[in-house]
Formats: sequence, C-alpha cells, structure tokens
Amino acid sequence: MTDAVGTHTGTETALRQAEAGPAAGPPREVAFTPAFSCRGVGVGFGAKTVLEGVDLDIAPGTVTALVGPTGCGKTTFLRTLNRLNDRVPGFRRSGTISLVGEDLYDRHMDPLVVRRRVGMLFQRPNPFPLSIHENVIAGVKAHRLAPRSELRSITERSLREVGLWEAVADRLGSSPFRLSGGQQQLLCLARALAVRPDVLLLDEPTSSLDPVSTEAVEDLLRSLVPGLTIVIVTHNLAQARRLADRTVFFHGGRMVETGETAELFENPQQEETRNYVSGRFG
Amino acid sequence: MTVPVASPGRPVPPAPDGRGPSGPRWDAAPGVIRPRHDTEGMVRWGTRLAALLPGAALVGLAVALLIEALPAIRGNGFGFFTRTTWDPGNFYNPPVVVNGVARPDGASYGAFPLIVGTLASSTIAMVIAVPVAFGTAMIVVHKLPRRLSNTVGMLLEMLAGIPSVVFGLWAALTLGPFLAHHVSPFISRTMPDVPVLRFFKGPVGSGEGLLTSGLVLAVMVVPIIASTTRDLLRQVPRGTQEGAVALGMTDLEVVRSVSIPWVRTGVIGACVLGLGRALGETMAVAMASGTVLGTVPRNVYSTFGSMAGVIVSQLDSALTDATGFAVETLAYLGLVLLAMSLLANIGARLLVRRASTTALPVGRGI
Repeated sequence: MTDAVGTHTGTETALRQAEAGPAAGPPREVAFTPAFSCRGVGVGFGAKTVLEGVDLDIAPGTVTALVGPTGCGKTTFLRTLNRLNDRVPGFRRSGTISLVGEDLYDRHMDPLVVRRRVGMLFQRPNPFPLSIHENVIAGVKAHRLAPRSELRSITERSLREVGLWEAVADRLGSSPFRLSGGQQQLLCLARALAVRPDVLLLDEPTSSLDPVSTEAVEDLLRSLVPGLTIVIVTHNLAQARRLADRTVFFHGGRMVETGETAELFENPQQEETRNYVSGRFG
Repeated sequence: MTVPVASPGRPVPPAPDGRGPSGPRWDAAPGVIRPRHDTEGMVRWGTRLAALLPGAALVGLAVALLIEALPAIRGNGFGFFTRTTWDPGNFYNPPVVVNGVARPDGASYGAFPLIVGTLASSTIAMVIAVPVAFGTAMIVVHKLPRRLSNTVGMLLEMLAGIPSVVFGLWAALTLGPFLAHHVSPFISRTMPDVPVLRFFKGPVGSGEGLLTSGLVLAVMVVPIIASTTRDLLRQVPRGTQEGAVALGMTDLEVVRSVSIPWVRTGVIGACVLGLGRALGETMAVAMASGTVLGTVPRNVYSTFGSMAGVIVSQLDSALTDATGFAVETLAYLGLVLLAMSLLANIGARLLVRRASTTALPVGRGI
C-alpha cells in the first residue's frame, strides 16, 4: 500500500530534494521544500478577523496536529490550505502560503487542481448520494485521471487501502447510507485517496465516530505517512499525542506555539499552551 | 358513539367500598372533565376517518363516473379510441339503438384527436417547463442573495395561484397572436424537414393551437415544479456539497454528483404533479387551443381540442340530447382522462422506485 501512495509527485519531489539538499549547507529545517509554508497568514470574513500572523512550515510526509479551544481559528486555517474558504462570502486573506514551493493563491493556481492535490476529510461522513463505487471514483472521474476501463480497479484498490473492501465488495452498486458511520468515513477517506493527493487535511475526522472506528481510522492514517502529508485538526489531545509528529497550538486567532508533539505536551514554552495541554481550559 | 359526559346534576357515584364519596374524582367532576379514554377514542376514530377520506373520495369519484359512462362505453365501444369523428347526430329524428343503447340518429363519437391533442400539448409543456423550473430552482437556491431568493420564491407561488382563466385570456389575446405574427413564421421557415422537427413546419394559423397551449401550460406548470425543487435543493446537506467541492469539482459537477441525485426522486414526483396539472388543465387550454372537434393536429400550430377542454365546451349542448348519450360520452371522456392521470401517477411512482436505489437518509421527497 505504501508504495502505491508513494507515487505522490509533490512529496516525491520534496523527498528527493531532502536527499540532495544538505550539501548546500543551510540548516536541516529548510533542506526540503515544506508541503506548506505559511508566512504572516491572516484570514478574515468581512469585518471579522479570524486569524493573524501565522508562520508555519509543514514538513512533507509527516502528521501535523492543529489543536486549540473552539473558535481559535484552526479549522479556518485548515480550510485556507485547500482554498475551500474561497467560496465563503467576504473571505479575505493576507500573507503567503506556498504548496511545495508554489504560491497557493497565485492567479495561475487553479483551485480545482489545488483541491485535487490537497484532499480533505470532514467532521461528519459526507458520502455522495451515489453508489459506493461511484463515490470512490467521483474525484477520479471529475479530474479525468483514469480511463473508464480502470475505474473498477481504482475502486478496489482505494477500498483495500482503507480496509473497507471485504465489507462492501458484494454491494458496490448500493447506497453508502446503509453503512455504519465509521464505514462511511472510511469510504470518504477512500474517495479522497483515490485522486492521489499530496496532502490530506482532516477536520476532526473521528469526532462523530465510536472508539473502535476511531482506532481503525487512526491506524490507517499512521500507515499513510510518509507517503502522504497529513494535517489534522482535533479537539482530542490524546489523539494528537498518538498521531502527530508535530503539534501546533492555536489560541484566539493566533498560532501560539509549535513543536515536536512530545516536546509541546511535556515541556510547553508558553503559559497558554501549558494551561491548555494540562487541561486548565479549552 | 356515546360519550358519557359528567353533567352538573349527575350524582357522584359511591366509592367501591360503599362508604360514599371519597374526595374529588376525575370521572365525577361536574361538567368539566371528559373521561380521558373517551377523547382518546374520538381522536382514534377521527383520524381513521380522515385517513380514509382521500381514498374514499377517489374511489367514489371513479365509480360515479363509471356508472354515468357505462352506456357510452357500451355504445361507443373501443372504437372510441380510434375514431376521429365527433358528431352528436340529429336530435330531431327518432333515436336509434346501437349495442343496446339509445342515441340520436347519426351520432358518432371518437376521442382519438382529443387524446392526441391532450398528450401533445402536455408534452410541449413539460419539455419546456422541466428545464426552466429546474434552472429557476437552482438559481434561487445557489446564486441569488437570500432576500432576492425569497422574493422570487414568493413570485413563483403567486404565479401558481393565478386563476387559469386569466392565463387563458392572456394566451388567446396576447401570446397567441404574438407567436403567430412574430415567432411561428420564423420557426416554420427555418426548421429542417426531418422527422419530429417536421411538426414545426406548415401553416402557422392565427395563434390558437398546440404551441400556444403548450407554452401557457408550461407557464402554469413551472411554479409547481420549481417551488418543490427549490425546497428539495435547500435540503441538500451543506457538508455533502462541500465534500464535492473539496474534491476539486466544479459547480456543475457538484450539481451532477450531489444535488441532482439528492433531489431526483422528489423532482420526478413534482414533475408528475405538473404533468397532472397539464393533462387536466381545462380553461386555459379551452381558450388557447381553438377547441376543434374531429381533427387530428397536423403540426404544432394546429388548432386542436383537449379532453378536458371539450368536456367543458360541449356539456351545454350535450345536455340537449334527449337520449342522454352525449352526456354519457362526455363522462366516458372524463373517465379516460382520470385513467390517464392515474396512469401517469403510477408510472412516476415506479420510476421513482427505480431511481431511488440509492437510499437517502432523509428527503425522499414525494
């Protein structure tokens, strides 16, 4: 499975650069092109400012968790990374975000292509009112990534990747709404993976799932790196500790602190972070 | 059903142990409280009755129409569906008896041109109305700002409430002549002489006819389909649409893979409601069709008669038929119209069942 995912072009470029990079001498952090590089990012809707001054690099092939209390702007930030906020009336943005070295908000950057390269999984499973098979290949068909004859095998491969194939192989033509919540979320993951994204954004993907399904989804996410870059918003600090290589703490529309997950939880540098991770608020 | 209501004068019954009244009791409170189990029973029977009424009305209507039409069914036979004549016969000669049913001398009825006219005008109406209604609903839901969208919705509902005779007047006095002078000649000239499109060629007449009727029916049907479709589109979950956007789909692809599948069954239901309206619409078509009897329409500009329109325009003269055969024949025509509407409804239900293999969690529509 990992080798299949390893064909993501953006990540591959980044990894190759990472191998070739160190000779040039700059510090290790800039030896690769970050999957995302944010400089002074601010986001607002109309008169309301939601985020200010976010500086953040997200390394390719890692899991980054965005944590913080409700309303801190972490979901807004996530939705800025695949340009989903473009469609919200009054959306404004400052600063620069680059996706593997390219300006995400450049005039010549097609948002449709951005969203193919940067997949997303939502809080609630949102399968389309189509058959299970059509759900998986919806993105593949929209982006014309494969000829008609290969669609069946793409469905099978994607469903196997998420471990759903055995459960649904005999009813690919039927409705996804008869599946359990966890299975629906896995189906949505299969749908997101079928278009071979470089990055996967997850917005509290397990908050509506039971513990067993949550564990299944988490195991799966761990197995997708380093072929895939994952950015996950979560309210569940334990989940951030289990999954993330790095954790970013947002509070009040600012990025307060970022660091290795263990470091951020054991030894937070900021007072606010310390209060949050120790459960004193949020 | 007897309802034992406690009346002011009713003596309070003794307690079971025979020691006389023991404090206030609910079933003995003077004239105020009705025993609970009794209201319960009334509600149960009342709701059952209410549930039965629509079915009873449909069956009663069909049976009454059938009884009235029975002599005409025997007298006209199945040739009723293939003949093109519509001749009430000579009321001054002695009546003749055919197939055991008395009728005026020379009377001969055939509904074929009326069936063709009804189906053709309704088809034209649906072909125009369905895409227009769907487009209107899409724009109202997705493109217009909230306040404007509400206004347009209100206008749509007002359009649905306009009396059909007003539409008929408009069609006969304004739309028909306009088409005949400015639109139809052009279409007639430019249409290629190939199958189907051939129906758009030929003499354009004076404005009364299939095209005018179809257009006015479309205007009447659009609000029915559009307002239902709008309500259904508003139910499509935001999260599902956003999922499609996040996958990199264009607006049109989102509509195709999320919105349309989500509303499909309901929209089919709405279309059948619209078709039912078009098939049965009487006044507007009677005024816009030219109401001719006994001629099959040759092109889309031909005057024609619809089943409903002929029933209303011929009833007066039919009542002067002493044998009653003319009225019975109109009842027969009404029965056929009823059957056609029911068939359209049942057909749509089958279609909906086939289309809804993808079960939705909510919003099955009609």
